[in-house]
Amino acid sequence: MEDTFGDDDFFSDGDGEPITAQKVLQTLEEAWLNEKFCPDLLPSQADYVECMMEQIQQMEENVNKLKKNDFRVEVHHMELARIRYTITSYLRSRLEKIEKNTAYILEQEALRGPENSYLSEGELIFARDFLALQENHCKQLVLQHVPPPFQDFMPTQQSLVPNLRSHVFLRAKKDVDGVVIEGDRDSRDEEVDLEENSQHIMQYKPIANFVKDGTIQLI
Amino acid sequence: MFCEKSLKLIKELDRSQEAMPPFDDDGVRQVFEEMRGLYDQNVAAANDTTADPDGTAISGIAIRHAALERNKRCLLAYAYNRILRVRNMRWQFGPILPHDIKANFNEPEVQWFNNYNICVARYFKSIGAHGLDLTADVKPPKSLYVEVRSLTDYGKLELDNGEVVLLKKHSTHLMSRAQCEPLITQGVLEQISN
Amino acid sequence: MFCHGLISLDGGCQQLCHHRKIMSLCHSYVPNYFSIPDILATQEKVPCTFEVQVKHLGFLDPGSDKRDIEVGTNIELPFWMASVLKTQRPAIADVGLPKIFKESYRDILKADPVVVDLHKLAPYFYEFGMSLCMLNHRESPEIVNVLVESFKQRFRKILDWAQHSNIEVPESKKLDNAEKIIYQAGREVGSSLHLWLTEGGSLIMAAGMVMQHKKMKLTQRDLLQ
Repeated sequence: MEDTFGDDDFFSDGDGEPITAQKVLQTLEEAWLNEKFCPDLLPSQADYVECMMEQIQQMEENVNKLKKNDFRVEVHHMELARIRYTITSYLRSRLEKIEKNTAYILEQEALRGPENSYLSEGELIFARDFLALQENHCKQLVLQHVPPPFQDFMPTQQSLVPNLRSHVFLRAKKDVDGVVIEGDRDSRDEEVDLEENSQHIMQYKPIANFVKDGTIQLI
Repeated sequence: MFCEKSLKLIKELDRSQEAMPPFDDDGVRQVFEEMRGLYDQNVAAANDTTADPDGTAISGIAIRHAALERNKRCLLAYAYNRILRVRNMRWQFGPILPHDIKANFNEPEVQWFNNYNICVARYFKSIGAHGLDLTADVKPPKSLYVEVRSLTDYGKLELDNGEVVLLKKHSTHLMSRAQCEPLITQGVLEQISN
Repeated sequence: MFCHGLISLDGGCQQLCHHRKIMSLCHSYVPNYFSIPDILATQEKVPCTFEVQVKHLGFLDPGSDKRDIEVGTNIELPFWMASVLKTQRPAIADVGLPKIFKESYRDILKADPVVVDLHKLAPYFYEFGMSLCMLNHRESPEIVNVLVESFKQRFRKILDWAQHSNIEVPESKKLDNAEKIIYQAGREVGSSLHLWLTEGGSLIMAAGMVMQHKKMKLTQRDLLQ
């Protein structure tokens, strides 16, 4: 279905470098799988989402110009439905994590600072609104009715954190040297090298940064 | 025994699984009362140092303090897990809930649902230039059209291509997947397997 | 207020110790404050032997009508309370092991973990076991081993049942709460894989809560007729 977008569709990725629609879609698909399998929230690809949605709209307009019984209509409609699914599924995974670990995610976001944010603008507003909603509800229903020393809300949120030690399936997109796997009480730290295209199961934590910079793909 | 009433709330929720039992106002109020009692006893024990020359009062205080924390945890877990179900209902039923389900909410839960609706709608609107409904497209598409049977007398429905169909109970239709998905999710239509 | 300064100080220390112990025993285990299974698991009873007198709380011992709890009294108490008794300085009570984690039962579990009816003996076997280990009982390392070994062997069986049987196997009644969740998840994955292989995709279905709601309405109507 390569030619749903022509090869000559170019976008700018912000640094002035033009990239093709195919490349945008591929980036989104990788981001979607990573987000689906990653226990923690990954940096947002909101720019790519936006770009893809513009492209979908344009495509829909073009498809509607074709004759009704042109068989290409069906093919293009199908491809557009698949792209829409990828986008909504990607954004749903993110929203679920934001709702689950709201306080933690907002705290991490504040530590990183605005120039290095992981949340899109819309997500950030949603996260703040959602935490306020939870706090307000807990206060109204419970906290304002209990003795004063037990009225704190924030400490109850401390346990809502992603488990960075949960295991993930992954593929190395390039050679990755010197991944340090922490030992436990029975074993020492260990260093492993991952070969290009090799697949592994291991804890998320030691490879977190490689997922974020794109050298490792979760599968 | 301490905290039996708050444990009852948790067991009630555990038993009902995904469903929404009526909010147990009375049970919750009883836990508040137990907490107030425990707290008053602790304040009295801590201030009455004359009655405690050997310092053993601290053990009682510690135990009652643990019971207070436990009660708080159970109450908040009760509130939180109910809200989690309310949240899932927004994603499964859509922004309007059946009356008999809403009847089991208490007032703050109705408010929470309405406010959550607003948050979600605002977020959906912020995606892209024209917004995107994330409650749609929940399954990967396999075909563009599916055969469906109507489960209720739903009435007229305008299809994407402008055609209008009448959804009557037991009537069958061939419809675009995108359009019938929300209606299947809400239980208006069912997909006919081939 | 005097009592709060003191208690919160104490509580703070307790959290610190707690944290260190979790780190050394089970790295990835963070009980969720709102988790219903965790609340139920920490409700399981453990035997406590009081080392100091506790005034006015005699009613915690159902077998006695005394006003105070005397030194040397044995009471079975929920884990959440026992952990506070043990971690106070000085400790209020010594905490023993419940039957299922004692040596005699550990030996049974070591011999053949698959036949043990955990649902009956300890419905929150793993959660409860891990919480118990945080109290640093001298037999904790043994308990950790039994938890891991039991899980490894039972998991193989669970996987087998989930993949190779269409109906719910009777043995699934003997699973602990966490195992049941794994078993059900395994069955669901198995049937959707089957559907995908035979039909090339699954049907769009009504949402779970919507179906439940419909069923409820139907039964209500039947009852009214």
